[in-house]
Amino acid sequence: MSASDLVAKLTTLLGSDGVRSDAVSLQAYSRDATPMFEGLPEVIVAPRNTQEVSKIVKFAHDTKTPIIARGAGSNLCAATVPLNGGIVMSMTSMNKVLEVAKSEMIAIVQPGVTNLDLDQLVEKEGLRFVPDPGSRNVSTIGGNVATSAGGLRGLKYGTTRNYILGLEAVLGTGEIIRTGGRLVKDVAGYDVTRLLVGSEGTLAVFTEITVALAPRPEASKYGVAYFEDLAAAADAVEKIITSGILPATLEFLDNTCLVAVEDFAHLGLDTKAGALLLFGDDGDLVSIEQSVGKMAEIAKSSAGCRGVTLAADIAAAEALLYARRCSLPALARLSSLSILEDIAVPRKSMAEAVKRIEAIGVKHGLRIGTFGHAGDGNLHPTIVLDKDNPKEVAAAEAALAEIFALPLEFGGTITGEHGVGSAKLPYLEAKIGPANMQLQRDIKKVFDPAGILNPGRIGS
Amino acid sequence: MREKFSQDKLDRCISCGYCLPACPTYKLTGNEESSPRGRITLMRAVQNDKLPALDLLQESSFCLGCRACEPVCPAGVEYGVLLEEMRDITWQGKNRPLIIRGLFAIVDSKIGMWGLGLFSPMARRREANKDLHLMYGCFERRLFPSVSRAVAKLAPEVSCSSDQGCCGALHAHNGELEKGKEMAKALGAKLPGTILTTAGGCAAHLSSVIGADRVQEFSQWWFKRDIELKPITKAGRKIRVGLQDSCHLRNGMGVFVEPREILKQLGDLVEVPGAADCCGAAGSYALLQKKNSRKVVSQKIADIKALNLDYIATVNPGCTRQLVTELRRARVKTKVIHLAELVANSQIQ
Ligand SMILES: Cc1cc2nc3c(=O)[nH]c(=O)nc-3n(C[C@H](O)[C@H](O)[C@H](O)COP(=O)(O)OP(=O)(O)OC[C@H]3O[C@@H](n4cnc5c(N)ncnc54)[C@H](O)[C@@H]3O)c2cc1C
Ligand code: SF4
Ligand code: SF4
Repeated sequence: MSASDLVAKLTTLLGSDGVRSDAVSLQAYSRDATPMFEGLPEVIVAPRNTQEVSKIVKFAHDTKTPIIARGAGSNLCAATVPLNGGIVMSMTSMNKVLEVAKSEMIAIVQPGVTNLDLDQLVEKEGLRFVPDPGSRNVSTIGGNVATSAGGLRGLKYGTTRNYILGLEAVLGTGEIIRTGGRLVKDVAGYDVTRLLVGSEGTLAVFTEITVALAPRPEASKYGVAYFEDLAAAADAVEKIITSGILPATLEFLDNTCLVAVEDFAHLGLDTKAGALLLFGDDGDLVSIEQSVGKMAEIAKSSAGCRGVTLAADIAAAEALLYARRCSLPALARLSSLSILEDIAVPRKSMAEAVKRIEAIGVKHGLRIGTFGHAGDGNLHPTIVLDKDNPKEVAAAEAALAEIFALPLEFGGTITGEHGVGSAKLPYLEAKIGPANMQLQRDIKKVFDPAGILNPGRIGS
Repeated sequence: MREKFSQDKLDRCISCGYCLPACPTYKLTGNEESSPRGRITLMRAVQNDKLPALDLLQESSFCLGCRACEPVCPAGVEYGVLLEEMRDITWQGKNRPLIIRGLFAIVDSKIGMWGLGLFSPMARRREANKDLHLMYGCFERRLFPSVSRAVAKLAPEVSCSSDQGCCGALHAHNGELEKGKEMAKALGAKLPGTILTTAGGCAAHLSSVIGADRVQEFSQWWFKRDIELKPITKAGRKIRVGLQDSCHLRNGMGVFVEPREILKQLGDLVEVPGAADCCGAAGSYALLQKKNSRKVVSQKIADIKALNLDYIATVNPGCTRQLVTELRRARVKTKVIHLAELVANSQIQ
């Protein structure tokens, strides 16, 4: 169907204020937070309710038009770049919290609510929405569910996957389904909820999400430890976890990140250290005093430790967390282009993997900073380069291929939390194997027979 | 006239979207193109010849220029500068709004500036400390002459020279970036030493051109003087007072603690929700984008009304004008007053 027909038909369906197709709007939706990927959609729609979503998807189905559900567009795997034209469906107008049930510890939300807005709202009830991706102030719950977003608390609390109880979703035919519900226990039928979490907009479009909340902990406490190198930090992490503590937060920065973050945040970090370990826990005052105290001691007595400091108060702790969340932008200040990756390896192989990443950087003459979640082995190697230098760009591509191959040697994965999207689809088969690849394609066909939902991503 | 954006400034943006929740126009529409990230994407498209420059006209006008997107940006994107460049690229010739052409005509000419000061009861010209000059502001001298009078009364050491033009902020923000810079330099040469200004917008522009060490905004300067103020009372109780931040003062210069500390001495400081958010005056915005300007300010007016304040203090003349107009329209009794005048009132008591 021609673009103008597409616009005319959708306008009849939704009225003119929900449909945009001027050059400026189209351009604005041509990218997400992934560098180097761009593509123009043909039309942008902004549905206000489930019925409208259903109508739009049915229309896309009938006309075989590609359609991408888009939240805040903060994903880092080119999952919302319209590489095949078609419709971008912005979910941000559906941003109401429909219900907070304190006694059941659940909330029911529309997909466009931002993570932080939801968390701040339930805070009033003494509850919290646990998943806390670095992008929480902007990313939407719909996007979080579609990518099973992680965050800084993965080791102790898991990721978005562990907090989704039920979904209302629109299939690739326009049909509306409900999965799961309000209950913690519910095994009626296949666990479609779990399948849809992390499906990156390729199986169905979420229109209502029931999330599990948790009691808000009384307090939290954080500290930093500095080490000569990352191997020493990894040793300390191993000792902490085998000592029986399950901390909420164990994050690390290598020296490149550390220096970049300090330049930006001016926290007085020890920039001579080879690695920084940010550790912390939440819970009641007595138990976090104990667990954080014990972590500090283990770190101090670990070989290669240069020093340990505990955050004096909430403000100091918040500053540390903010600095950690800003590792990527801080690195990005170093040059005109930064490519962030998201591999994960078993914890015991973490130090070795980081060493290998460093070697890849040296081999290709690239600057690579690595930060990540030391507790769960999720590493974010970030290449900073000059985008106008073709040599560096070519080197970065070669280095990326090696970085993706690396975790597989250790039984790890090509993406821990950012997703596959278009950016990592070429590497997916190496990770999951041909039979599973085919299974994923078959699953997609059942949910989306016309292949219109976010084509060119998982299941393609 | 500019044709291209500064590439290094465009490159800073990593499209993370952290700035979206801070942007008033994104809040109004929910549309990516009216967000800071979206506008930068559009600028990039123009830079790479994927979009004609004139397609930026609408968004360059819709953007308030409030720079709320800057302090929240972890990558340090200088959006304010990019916006100035965007207007410089698009607001040329017939695309420059008539009102802006009119305003330029006034401040560009000696007669215009003379006219603005004519019969205005602003602070009288005097020579005092040769290294500390009060800046009258171009339209402030006409619209709110009592502000400069208040400063002159508060500080006898301040010199007031009649030979001073406009600082060029008006130009820089409305499509004449280079001229705006020249004007700032010219003013810097005319008024040696420190320039004291009662307008947050002028302070930010001037200091970006002639250096922050040469510019003092009133609250910054007064706070450092460390003079204890008597509380102002009304019907036997301390006044209830709120503050409207100046966007450029807060987001561009990081000054927002000082005016609050001063107000705490003068009365009971009540933090108005969204005090840091743009009031919609945004330089010439209230004139050019009347409807949107009113949409932006409407929640603020409701909040001020609900708080039942005696005064709402301002640190920038544009905000004064906007709040006076809109509070009057909503029949709210709260009085809008520049911080300097409030300080002067305390001294008199
Ligand atoms: C600075 C920064 C830090 C980040 N930190 C983290 C982090 O710590 N952990 C982490 O996991 N991620 C992180 N991310 C990545 C990103 O923020 C997450 O993937 C987030 O969940 C995306 O949400 P979004 O609303 O932006 O979704 P979008 O980017 O708009 O979309 C992401 C995917 O979700 C799909 N989708 C969106 N809405 C729906 C819906 N209603 N129904 C069906 N599918 C939908 C899209 O089709 C797409 O496939 C970070 C990103 C940035 C820029
Ligand atoms: S301007 Fe800053 S906050 Fe906004 S998208 Fe760009 S880098 Fe992110
Ligand atoms: S200057 Fe204000 S209105 Fe313009 S993009 Fe930034 S936050 Fe939005």
